[in-house]
Amino acid sequence: MDKLKPHDMSRPPAEQLASLDHLMPLPPPYDKQDMEPGLKPVKDTWRETYCTSLDGFVGNDNLKRPGSKSEEEEFINKFLSGLDKLFARETNSGFLTPFNLAFEYCARCGVCSEACHVFQASGGKEVYRPLFRSDTLRRLYKSYKKQGRPAARFTGGSVGINAEALLRLGELAYRCNLCRRCAQTCPLGLDNSVIAREIRALFSMEMGMAPTLLHERGTVLQLKTGSSTGMNKNAFLDNIEFIEEDLYERLGKKYKFPIDKKGADILLIHNAGEFLSWPDNPAAFAILFTEAGLDWTMSSELAGYDAVNYGIWYDDAQARKISLAQRRAARELGVRRIVIGECGHAHRAAAVSSDRLAVGEDNIPRESSFPILQDIVRSGAIKFDPLRNNFPVTLHDPCNIVRSMGVVMPQRQILRALCPQFREMAPHGVNNYCCGGGGGFAVMRNMNFPEWEMKVSARMKFKQILEAFQDKIEDPTIPKYICAPCSNCKGAFRDMLNYYQATARFNVQYGGIVELMVNAMAMFDRPYFEWLEEF
Amino acid sequence: MLLAVFMYTAVTAFVVFSLGKARQYARHPLANRWELYPVPGEPGVSYGGSYYEEAEWWTRPRQISRAGQYGAVLQEMLFMKSLFVNQRKFWWFSYPMHLGIYLLGLFTLLLLAGAVTEMFGMPLTASDGVSSHTWAALVYWATAVAGFAGIFLTTCGSAALLINRVADGTLRKYTTGAEYFNLFFILAAAVSGLVAWSTDPGFNYNRGVVAAMLAFAPVRAGLPLTVHLVLFGALLIYIPRTKMSHYIGKYFAYHKVLWDNEPNLKGSALERIVEKNLVNRPRDGWSSPHTKSTETGKS
Repeated sequence: MDKLKPHDMSRPPAEQLASLDHLMPLPPPYDKQDMEPGLKPVKDTWRETYCTSLDGFVGNDNLKRPGSKSEEEEFINKFLSGLDKLFARETNSGFLTPFNLAFEYCARCGVCSEACHVFQASGGKEVYRPLFRSDTLRRLYKSYKKQGRPAARFTGGSVGINAEALLRLGELAYRCNLCRRCAQTCPLGLDNSVIAREIRALFSMEMGMAPTLLHERGTVLQLKTGSSTGMNKNAFLDNIEFIEEDLYERLGKKYKFPIDKKGADILLIHNAGEFLSWPDNPAAFAILFTEAGLDWTMSSELAGYDAVNYGIWYDDAQARKISLAQRRAARELGVRRIVIGECGHAHRAAAVSSDRLAVGEDNIPRESSFPILQDIVRSGAIKFDPLRNNFPVTLHDPCNIVRSMGVVMPQRQILRALCPQFREMAPHGVNNYCCGGGGGFAVMRNMNFPEWEMKVSARMKFKQILEAFQDKIEDPTIPKYICAPCSNCKGAFRDMLNYYQATARFNVQYGGIVELMVNAMAMFDRPYFEWLEEF
Repeated sequence: MLLAVFMYTAVTAFVVFSLGKARQYARHPLANRWELYPVPGEPGVSYGGSYYEEAEWWTRPRQISRAGQYGAVLQEMLFMKSLFVNQRKFWWFSYPMHLGIYLLGLFTLLLLAGAVTEMFGMPLTASDGVSSHTWAALVYWATAVAGFAGIFLTTCGSAALLINRVADGTLRKYTTGAEYFNLFFILAAAVSGLVAWSTDPGFNYNRGVVAAMLAFAPVRAGLPLTVHLVLFGALLIYIPRTKMSHYIGKYFAYHKVLWDNEPNLKGSALERIVEKNLVNRPRDGWSSPHTKSTETGKS
């Protein structure tokens, strides 16, 4: 048994608390030696600047070591001041109830550990146990509030408050995908992910320490340019033009994306990463919505063409500002409803997380695109030929859409109708496992963090994929498709399939759901998937 | 009389502190939505679906099954279903203790019923044993069975939980002194109850205590019962101040967080609450400069 305890978090920086040995085994063909890449060593300069003393990886690149004694003192004081703010109704009104409940009532029964893919995939490393993180925060708080008193030790306040403990805690907040699978199993209905999220919020909103790719080059960039990709209005319009031309070349039919159409029924917002990384996805939406005769538009206004809202992972202030900017774009167009494309966290941010942040004119209905897509299939408005998708297809359930929003069946009904070889992963639906990129990990490409993501947080999903395709996995002539109707999940799959070379070796492909739909459209005489033309 | 005053105080403290705890959570500002599916009462509860599965969901009347909601609550309250499904081993320790506590609640009501029955001139016992009157005999035996089963199960459950926490390396690592003390406290109160029962299997003295309390008369109890009452009373005062008050926390965790998927529809009562919240929202709490700005990039 791993002997690590929460009070070990305050050990000296030279001691690394965990390392990635003895990870959860993977099924065939990845059970053989050398199928999995080895780990790269941690650079010494990183050890000096960042906190690598948790597990050797750097998730939060803005969490830098204090340089002097006075900086260390300031660092600790800021943390403690932020800690108080987490418990104050004036500063944490939106999360006060879930946070307090999770903080106060945990029975430490350990059920959450069984449900956590990070803990399980790591081979049961104590540091990744959900309870380890939440209990460290509890013990720090008790140590802080009951300094020196016997009651501190009696109630668990045994963690020494030093900079190293806080740095490690700040890193540890980014070892949880915020997938909430643990909360589903808690016998008291408590949510460990809310504690991880609140630690992130404390570091961001009080100490200004959030990962660059979530903050400066994420939400800040989105509020400045209109998109977290840095794509401004002109670049967006150029991209659309390019996609339109590409579609015409490939399909021989002209499709026009309606932009800034006043009074349209639907404002369709995609994760802007789609335009750059997976342009076939917004293109497929345009084909389907146009052919189905929907009255829709896209916005070229600030945040109106990017549905992402990284704020929901780490910072309430940023989440609120982005959400309101998106609502404003919709209001200015006078649309009746906002429809979110294939992006999981954007679904939840728009429909659920921001639901109680706007009223009146800004209170515009938001919905998932999946039921609309399901209606297109059901209605017969478009003729589909399912045999065009006659290859093994499995479905990844994005946590934010399924577990946190309850959209489970529409995407399945589409796949059942259009993919003859559809098979479920186990487990699936609301019991699914995270892709490994949840909670911002798919975006955090800094230093060696992607390596941790691939080795640990994406490991359970990779195992599920191998199991779902086990009958065909070793035959590279058969394409195997992971339907991942979420941009960040797709980012995680792209990196996963590349890291494990599963596409190159075994022809495992990935993409969204609309691409499958267009691929099955009878009116086109060639496949929508270019990789399908190779076979 | 001192014992009677203590028992009045203990019961009052339990109620007042529990209500205080509930009030503390009830007065929290409206939380951001943080629901988790499946949500009982939703038509798609069997697989975790929600109203978001229908296009233009806000134009359709919401279908909420109250029976489904109450059913889920009862399954959780009475059988601890979540623990049974997700951690069976722990359930075998925890459920007996909780069932024992529920039975002791029932036992208390039966003591009350017995005391009132006797106050109205119908003794539950006769010189040769239990009264021959049906109601009196029913109350007597029900009290005896519920009382013994309650104490026995609470003793076994709390002892098993305590032993498990000590024996299991992972649990031991995370268990605080306070948590050992909580379990030990419950165990001590339950064991003292068992000792008191061994001297009075029909719980006649317990019924006498309740009758005395109803009549505001001095409580007369032997040493075993006195020790039990002192421990039990102290436990009543202690529980709401600790995380053993999860009977309150669990209500808020489910009803105000995990199952609260009430949408903020335009013109709804909820929208008015949201509006009030937004007006009263403090704007200068956190220290990072970006939190001070309301700038959304739009001029």
